[in-house]
Amino acid sequence: MNKKYDAIIIGAGVIGSPIAYELSRMGYKTLNVDKLHDAGEGSTAGSCAIVRAHYSTADGVAMAYEGFKYWLDWENYLDNVTDEKGLARYMNTGSFLIKSQGHDWKKVKKNYDEVGVRYEELDNDKIKEMVPPADLHEFWPVRRPEDPKFFDEPANEVEGAIFCPEGGYVNDPALSAHNIMRAAEAKGAEFLFNAEVVDIRSEDGKVAGITLKDGTQIDAGIVVNVGGPHSFKINKMAKGVWEGCNIKTKALRHEVMYCPSPDGYDYLNDGYHMSDGDIGCYVRPEVGNTFLIGCEDPDCDPQEWVDPDDFYAGKGGHGKDNVLTEEQWKAQCYRLGKRIPTLQVPNQPKGIVDLYDCSDDWIPVYDKSDLPGFYMAIGTSGNQYKNAPVVGRMMAELIDACEKGLDHDNEPFQYKFKHIDRSTDVGFFSRKREINYNSSFSVNG
Amino acid sequence: MQIYVCVKHVPDSAVNITIVDKNSIDENITFLLNPYDEHAITEAVQIKKNLPGSEVIAVCLGKTDARNTLRSALAMGADRGILIVSENGCDSIETAKALKAAMEQDGSPGLIFTGRESIDAEGMQTMFRIGALFNFPVATNVVKLDIEADRAVVNSELSGGTANTYDMSLPCVIGAGRGLNTPDYPTFRDVVNSKKKPIKTIVFSELNIEASLAGANIIELEPLQQKREPKEITGDKAVIAKEIVKILRDKAKVI
Amino acid sequence: MMKNIGIIIELDNGKIKETNFGMITLARADKSQLFAFVMDADTRDLKQELESFGITQLVNISLPPDQQNNPVIRAKAIINAIKAFNISIVFGLSTAMGKDLLPRIAALIEAPLVMDCFHVDLEQNLVKTSQYSGKTIATIKLAGDVLVLGVRPNAVEPIKAQDPGQILELKLDGTHLVSKGFSVIRTGEADKSTTIDLVEADVIIAGGRGMKNSENFTLLSTCAEKLNAAAVGASRVAVDSGWVPYAMQVGQTGEKVSPRVYIACGISGSIQHFAGMKTAGMVIAINTDENAAIMSNCDYYVKADVLEIIPELTKLL
Repeated sequence: MNKKYDAIIIGAGVIGSPIAYELSRMGYKTLNVDKLHDAGEGSTAGSCAIVRAHYSTADGVAMAYEGFKYWLDWENYLDNVTDEKGLARYMNTGSFLIKSQGHDWKKVKKNYDEVGVRYEELDNDKIKEMVPPADLHEFWPVRRPEDPKFFDEPANEVEGAIFCPEGGYVNDPALSAHNIMRAAEAKGAEFLFNAEVVDIRSEDGKVAGITLKDGTQIDAGIVVNVGGPHSFKINKMAKGVWEGCNIKTKALRHEVMYCPSPDGYDYLNDGYHMSDGDIGCYVRPEVGNTFLIGCEDPDCDPQEWVDPDDFYAGKGGHGKDNVLTEEQWKAQCYRLGKRIPTLQVPNQPKGIVDLYDCSDDWIPVYDKSDLPGFYMAIGTSGNQYKNAPVVGRMMAELIDACEKGLDHDNEPFQYKFKHIDRSTDVGFFSRKREINYNSSFSVNG
Repeated sequence: MQIYVCVKHVPDSAVNITIVDKNSIDENITFLLNPYDEHAITEAVQIKKNLPGSEVIAVCLGKTDARNTLRSALAMGADRGILIVSENGCDSIETAKALKAAMEQDGSPGLIFTGRESIDAEGMQTMFRIGALFNFPVATNVVKLDIEADRAVVNSELSGGTANTYDMSLPCVIGAGRGLNTPDYPTFRDVVNSKKKPIKTIVFSELNIEASLAGANIIELEPLQQKREPKEITGDKAVIAKEIVKILRDKAKVI
Repeated sequence: MMKNIGIIIELDNGKIKETNFGMITLARADKSQLFAFVMDADTRDLKQELESFGITQLVNISLPPDQQNNPVIRAKAIINAIKAFNISIVFGLSTAMGKDLLPRIAALIEAPLVMDCFHVDLEQNLVKTSQYSGKTIATIKLAGDVLVLGVRPNAVEPIKAQDPGQILELKLDGTHLVSKGFSVIRTGEADKSTTIDLVEADVIIAGGRGMKNSENFTLLSTCAEKLNAAAVGASRVAVDSGWVPYAMQVGQTGEKVSPRVYIACGISGSIQHFAGMKTAGMVIAINTDENAAIMSNCDYYVKADVLEIIPELTKLL
């Protein structure tokens, strides 16, 4: 006799765990299965865990602003569960969006106004006051060090910045997923690790359950794909699912650099999250008084689409495997070195290489599928960590509504935010949508 | 004073090493300035600041790509570079002869630095060979250095926490250790400014190095795999501690 | 043809260090004669010990007392011995002393040298050593009239091979024992300002969440002091919690280390931590959580509280 659950959630990362939490709170008996040994050890662990609200769509901004409220009230969100590993901490640094040609900041401002995000507009003098080592020249367009024009002297300055006092980062993303797991377990959820899904079974045109690598079969009438960079492989296992998606997902390799802060600048304690489209970088403080430098996918940077299993096994060679490249190290560090002229760049690359589960338009797919009972929360494209608690609740409500008969494809579920006075049309995240050209097609979302 | 720093272009210690053709490695990986050489360059540049009229010359024997490592050395403050291009590997004897010939051809060394070892070959000997060829005194794993008018007083570290102190006449050869200083990495401005600094290129054969009958050549490389089969140590805490000591002594052989 | 093999014996306060016997075992081969070179004691006092491992020629090298600790003089004295006894292969230990002596010898006579050998084939003049920060094993062929080999301490189990030995005195030609421009001011001085470098340590004891606070890390440093050349490391959690400085962090975003032994104390073993220490020779994990990832990815594991085990371990060291 196979074990049976109401819902099986594939993946125990920062999106899979809150889905379990919320479904459990609604009375569902859930099981998360994860091929790794603990919650949040996959691509969640490589996340920069940045919490900021500047998205290219009003819905994106709304969801992020809603999410922010959860991070601020973490213990309560978790219903005061104890986690033997301690709790992840949200560090509210405040967040700069540099007004650059690299960002449609006017659109962001409009979205802020619509949603009610608190912000100030700052001139360059004010930015210098807050970030003393900054050089506010305009370095646009973003180039690579291999391009001789990368070294051209700048002429103009940027137009200032939009500053949100509400923004920052979470100090330990893997731990945050672990926290949510403990909270879910307190509501009756179960988690199974070292458990790799190799098949998704269906019967009578509905999902029936999963099969693990060791042959174990587990049954459920609801299966949710939250497999991160492996999401496309999981979709292919379920009958009709891959074919029924107009928006597909695939794994994109990304390098994040850790560069020491200049002497005399306590970035860890005095610094801000900064999104700087002028140099194609975003930064936030990290342990060791380091600048964590993320890349905003400028056009000049090559995109490496990889097989996630090969990648995590260290295969693929220079630029495709899980080792930092000197080329990208220099690109990201020297770009930041223009904005922070006193930044000293070591010769040895240091940082993280991991994968985004990227959708065709860099907007997630939070949806049911063509296989009744099979749902997906995928295509997070490197920009959904901050929304995790919201997505957990939204997916749980979507699943519940669909299971109770809602024809979501034709009458899209409207999700009511709990902290801001707004609803969002979940159809926005439909697997059937046409590519959304309003998207920034980047990690900015 | 002309201060020469011999630098090496080596694989980043973080890369995956793939062996090809039985005795070489796949070179499509990140290469960089040997970490110990960073301490050497930083020290040389510091000495130059205190001795007006001095110059720091970085010398490198390697394939054409080694130019990137010279660029790193220049960005860290060396004034100019010399690249000796050899597409074949050289052992320590040939390397020392080539570096010595290039330095001799170029100028008059007042002080020569190397890193204490390279992180690929880990030979730990090139500085001594250079010293023997020039007939200069040598010290390695130097973690403290005081230059006076015509001498150098150095602390040569034996193991963490103990050192010998040597007094050497100038010119001398110094193998820089990790404790010597904190490497002074370049800012973006330093990188931009260093682009104008010249690199002289010499082809290995131009140096007319006399082939030595003596040498050491790698005939095979194999990957060192760590395959772990966990074994539990049980018992009360005293028993466990005893067992750990036994393992450290008999299996790991570290005590 | 009889090969004459010279072995530089390393002593500590007049006693032969244990590690020499493994080296002597490695150096023994058919059709070879073993010469022990002793610079820091009288071979008459060491005769029985050396004979019991197969040394047949015990050479006393008497250095002038004020030159005894000068590596240049010592190197030249050995070169004298190499010439006097027609030595074709020289062995020494790849220790701190060896690193300051063997390359000087090799450089002065332009002989090839390989340090840190753990295997030799004296028929083919092949040795094995590790390269690329512990990721590969290199087999190296040496050519030349004299070969110089630095042997990894404890690479080989010592095996006895009793043979009667004779004592020889090396007559040193004092005019050749010149140390031009190089003199020794002090030896073996403790330098409290330097500590064992994490990246270079043979043994690392690292603490994680299981250490619970900053004070408990002194348990690890006390233990490390008792172990020769051991350094203390930490997981990201310990650094992020403010218990130890960032310089001690081992992992993807800290230091990458490759020690002979890595003792993980209260560390769960996240993938990012592993990225920093997976090339360690041996991993010993101590953790109360039997399901922690590191417990299935180590060589030895202990299901116990590290705060109890480490003090016990320190007592025994």
